[in-house]
Amino acid sequence: MVITSSNSQLTEQELEDMFNTALQVAKEAGNVIRDAFYKEKKVDTKMSAADLVTETDQAIEKMVESMIVKKYPTHRFIGEESTKDHEKHKLTDDPTWIIDPIDGTTNFVNHIPEVCFSLGIMVNKKTVIGVVYAPIKEELFTARLGKGSFLNGRKLQASKITDLKKAVILFEGGASRDAKILEDKMANTHSLYTHARGMRSYGSGALSICNVAAGRGQGFFEYGLHIWDFTAGGLIATEAGAVVLDPSGGELNPLHRRVLCACTQEVAHSLSQLLVHIDMGWD
Amino acid sequence: MSELDLEEMYAVAISVAREAGQIIRDAFDKEKEVDTKQSAADLVTESDQAVEKMVNSRILGKFPNHRFIGEETTAVSGEKHQLTDEPTWIIDPIDGTTNFVNSIQEVSFSLGIMVNKKAVIGVVYAPIKDEMFTARLGKGAYLNGKKLKASKITDLKQAVIITEGGSSRDIKVVEDKVKNIHTLITHTRGIRSYGSAAINLCHVAAGRGQGYIEYGIHIWDFIAGALIASEAGAVVLDPTGCDLDPLRRRILCACSAEVAKGLSQILTHLDMGSD
Repeated sequence: MVITSSNSQLTEQELEDMFNTALQVAKEAGNVIRDAFYKEKKVDTKMSAADLVTETDQAIEKMVESMIVKKYPTHRFIGEESTKDHEKHKLTDDPTWIIDPIDGTTNFVNHIPEVCFSLGIMVNKKTVIGVVYAPIKEELFTARLGKGSFLNGRKLQASKITDLKKAVILFEGGASRDAKILEDKMANTHSLYTHARGMRSYGSGALSICNVAAGRGQGFFEYGLHIWDFTAGGLIATEAGAVVLDPSGGELNPLHRRVLCACTQEVAHSLSQLLVHIDMGWD
Repeated sequence: MSELDLEEMYAVAISVAREAGQIIRDAFDKEKEVDTKQSAADLVTESDQAVEKMVNSRILGKFPNHRFIGEETTAVSGEKHQLTDEPTWIIDPIDGTTNFVNSIQEVSFSLGIMVNKKAVIGVVYAPIKDEMFTARLGKGAYLNGKKLKASKITDLKQAVIITEGGSSRDIKVVEDKVKNIHTLITHTRGIRSYGSAAINLCHVAAGRGQGYIEYGIHIWDFIAGALIASEAGAVVLDPTGCDLDPLRRRILCACSAEVAKGLSQILTHLDMGSD
């Protein structure tokens, strides 16, 4: 792909076109997911026995990449399945489409409905468009920077809870089976049971962040996910009034493979102070 | 009980579930006044109490000789329950009260009917998602009229297991529960947690997940869901692998006997007392 000059300037019309393309792409991806959902799946593993990939993941990514490249040949593309093992990404100012063809692949394989297609578009290293489509649940989450976020057309507003003791926190076990990482994750689980109202786990990072945006839960954190898991959801959450940070409380670094999303600053602060922060490397 | 009696009871159960669902749906987006029971994580609202009162009066109005066990009446009386052979309606007016308070959709009304100490009718209605799970003993389990079939997975390593933190904040109990979560993550494909025991059992029945394990719940949380799950082909047992004791406050539900056995062998089994 040709790389354009830095500090891209896009018009409102161009952004709107990109948003409409994103919706179209999400719809097509959703159709593929829905068709395949109840069938038998051929499953491979990636980094661990719990890190799954199917031919559907790969088919969707290929289809989406070709749709985008056709319309926007100068834009960049970062996809989960086309990222080679140990390939490192660098963010530039160019419009960059970041996709997870199926977030919640384990759910997809095990017939659990929390499965989604996630597409975030960054320009000048900032997320400007976010689309998360959960086709089995028929839930389309969308956001454009500065224009709010929506679920099936209904405007979203995160919870106003400030007290962690009243908050329900979403978390994931994740795909790593490294003993030390799991030990730290269990320490965090224990802390949350004793300091929050409760915990929930759905198996999709993108949908969990969208749930915080929708007020269905007051916080989400994860160590070890990837930029394609949370770029779109992160914008959807902030446009609904939530905060999205690095778990340590600092600014989110999109390539640092960890995220904390909370309905308010106060809940975010409490979580940052409570959790053991795990370094999971870089995308 | 004749077949006609059971059919009539079933029809009343469905009608009562829909009415309870309406109350829950109406209250869901509003501000709630919340009290606590056994711990800061064990919540009750006026909706729980309103639903239970409505259901109690509907049932006693139609079946004055039947028995009634409800979560909120038990919380007030503190009584210990004994199961008899009489038709006994066992209800949880809102299973997933924390979800209800925190605007999370996994909220359900659960109603199980036991006759001769066996569950014969089970209804779990999740009104925000509009999912009506039903079962009659020997007649299969259904979700919104569609027949349910649990997964056929036998290998624990391919199973996704549902479990809950629960409402106890006792130090030893929380320690054991976190240990079990750790064990589950290392031996299975992953864990999930939705916040409603009744819905969790229905998920296993529907093939959305391959097992569910919890220590510390009550008979009203699982009596309906357990019938729905077993009628869908799942197994329902005590976590140790023995027969389920409905008053023993713990349950293991798995899509297959093999997954059940796998779970029994790896978990730390907690004694949470009796209802």
